[in-house]
Amino acid sequence: MVKVPAPRAVFVDYPVGRTFGHPGDHRKQEEILTLALAELANFTEPGQIPDLHCQWDAGGSRSWEEELRTLLLSDR
Amino acid sequence: MALEYLPIMAQSSAPKPPRVLVSPSKPSWCAVEKPVNQSRVALLTSAALRLNRQEPFAPGEDLTYRLIPSDSKTSDIVIDHHSRIGPVPRQNPEIVFPMAALASLAAKRIVGSLSPIHVSFMGGVRRHHEVENELAPAIARELKQATVDLALLVPY
Repeated sequence: MVKVPAPRAVFVDYPVGRTFGHPGDHRKQEEILTLALAELANFTEPGQIPDLHCQWDAGGSRSWEEELRTLLLSDR
Repeated sequence: MALEYLPIMAQSSAPKPPRVLVSPSKPSWCAVEKPVNQSRVALLTSAALRLNRQEPFAPGEDLTYRLIPSDSKTSDIVIDHHSRIGPVPRQNPEIVFPMAALASLAAKRIVGSLSPIHVSFMGGVRRHHEVENELAPAIARELKQATVDLALLVPY
């Protein structure tokens, strides 16, 4: 997204395919959507990507990255 | 530090050549004319999702799209995208296509209103020229016809 500037984009630091959180977490889905839409008024030019400061693991672990890498590279 | 997906995707898609990043040939910026709480909002998804009664997407280079009525049930959603990430979002498509969350924000008047339709297409298509010159304009026409003010794309 950084390399191909979108008119308006936000960054959610969650695994691809889980942009709005864990399955069934309706509160989180609504929270992220609200945060994203709230950024709309702040954009002044293409390419800006505000960080919504979402953290996948409550303790800050990024072990999900290795799990995701393994999944993406797994045999079908 | 954000995870770098492109090297992983290049490794994943081998022996096909790595994806080429292509910027739009024309500026895509347009002014926002209304605040969110007065805007009609639609969702776009590149997850190739559809209703179970709609025609399936073809694997790979499918340049069609599906209109998803905004009053659809999540339980009627099928995700056709071939990505290996599919098992989790298939448990609850709302995590890539938050229809219910958007409807809730409309009910709370955080957004002005729901578009009658959302739009789904296949992400990862390598025919960039056709995406820009055929698929994107067709989707834009659908959104204009639905008098949509804001479209939120959730990449897949």
